Amino acid sequence: MNRTLTKYFRVFFIQLKNNFVREAVYRSNLFTMLFVDIIWIAVEFSLFGVIYANTPTLAGWTQPQVYFFLGIFFASDALFTTFFQRNFWNFSDLVNKGELDILLTKPIHPLFLALTRWMNITAIFNLFFGIAIAIRYAEPAGFSGGMRWALLPGWLAVGVLTAIVVRFAFSIWIFWTERSFALSRMYYQFFALATKPDALYPGWVRYVILTFLPFAFIGSVPARALIHGLEMREFLTIVFVLSGFFIFDLFFWKKGLKRYQSASS
Amino acid sequence: MLRLKWRIAALKNGLQDATAYRIEFLLQLIGSAGVPALIQWLLWYAIFKIGGQTEVAGMSYTDLLAYTWMSVLFSQVRGGDHDFALMEMIRSGGLSNYLLRPVSPVEFVYIRGVAEKLFVAGICLVIGMIASFAVGLNPLHLLGAMILALLGNIIHYQLGAMIATLAFLWEEAYAILMVKNMVVQILSGELIPLNLFPANMQWVWKMTPFYLYVYGPTQFALGRWNLTEFGNAILIACAWIVFFTVGIKVTWKFGIKRYLSLGG
Repeated sequence: MNRTLTKYFRVFFIQLKNNFVREAVYRSNLFTMLFVDIIWIAVEFSLFGVIYANTPTLAGWTQPQVYFFLGIFFASDALFTTFFQRNFWNFSDLVNKGELDILLTKPIHPLFLALTRWMNITAIFNLFFGIAIAIRYAEPAGFSGGMRWALLPGWLAVGVLTAIVVRFAFSIWIFWTERSFALSRMYYQFFALATKPDALYPGWVRYVILTFLPFAFIGSVPARALIHGLEMREFLTIVFVLSGFFIFDLFFWKKGLKRYQSASS
Repeated sequence: MLRLKWRIAALKNGLQDATAYRIEFLLQLIGSAGVPALIQWLLWYAIFKIGGQTEVAGMSYTDLLAYTWMSVLFSQVRGGDHDFALMEMIRSGGLSNYLLRPVSPVEFVYIRGVAEKLFVAGICLVIGMIASFAVGLNPLHLLGAMILALLGNIIHYQLGAMIATLAFLWEEAYAILMVKNMVVQILSGELIPLNLFPANMQWVWKMTPFYLYVYGPTQFALGRWNLTEFGNAILIACAWIVFFTVGIKVTWKFGIKRYLSLGG
């Protein structure tokens, strides 16, 4: 078990190193993407700034609480963007162009290679921005801080894991549809639901984003858990939903592999 | 006659390209209309139904809902990604193919790209007309609003085409187009009505042409703008179009001298 884990870690770090070397060649891209990310953060802040200019609270959430949520959301999303997002965009090529062939021949799980091959190291700055924003608004948001900051990495991991399993559930259909652009786009349209705290939503939408499309686990539930804490029922829901997605993804991955026809797929 | 022929051919080609995968086209249309509307509605729900407020910036829950549903029609018509295509042509050297032909590459890319938007505008107009009769809005206002939205579409592309010329000088110029699109999202009124901006911040959206894309058409279609305000908006849109037409001529004249035709 230990040896297997070490092998996977080693492969991951080699991929990280390769990606870093590749991106270091395009240094101006790093600053450009940094600029784009800052504007994205500014737009999200402006949107809530305008809304809070008209109302003191939003479904019980104060302005600092929403900004704290945005910090957590940006940090969680940055981790996904840095390490996994590009692989999902390239996933259709793996299947359609037969590039999956080479991964299937390696002595390591092909899914691991398929999802960690490409990285976008420049996006990591958003993680720092997100954490800085969360720290800035933690106190006015009512987050008690101290040792509770130790929970942050765990909640960020929940956010990343959610993004991976849900994005995969939208991508896996490439084995059957041959074109995944519309589904990928649809994922990002639904992803917009993750950019607002779940408390804003009416009951049925909240139910959907906490179960079938669990976008609330990316930023909203972690922020709520840090500020107010969660009930045992909510912890169990997270475990149950993520496990469900994991089983669903694996099941269809195996089914898809059976349909895979190599380069002529 | 020949000049008209290639334009019609480009339009046809663009429409065929956009609708080649019909299910994908339909899913895209439903997603891009439904999800933003849902999110806007949820915001109003949180403010009015959960928060118990009765009015925001002089607008009731019903007013805001009407804005949301109407703005969805016009946000489908605004912009497109063909300015990115233009930039990619410059960056990759693909522009060389177009320089040899008796067509303007800027116009060709626009006509090809706008075909889909014109088709969508037609669908939105029919949906809007039916809704207008049902809720007692003036259908002529809707027609005028759609014309304003289409002028907004031209402005959006023209600005993009000007920014695209940065690719003659800079490899990463696409980032500026991305930034433009993010700014447009909030300043066009697609996410929230622009009258929600605090009084001292109203100048921010008034100084750009972006409000002509969604906010302006929505206000006119809902009868919240009178004919004078609508006429002014049309005049302002035309002024922006003239301004950007000159801007495109100047920036392309300057940029093309630096074109290296690498790749392509």
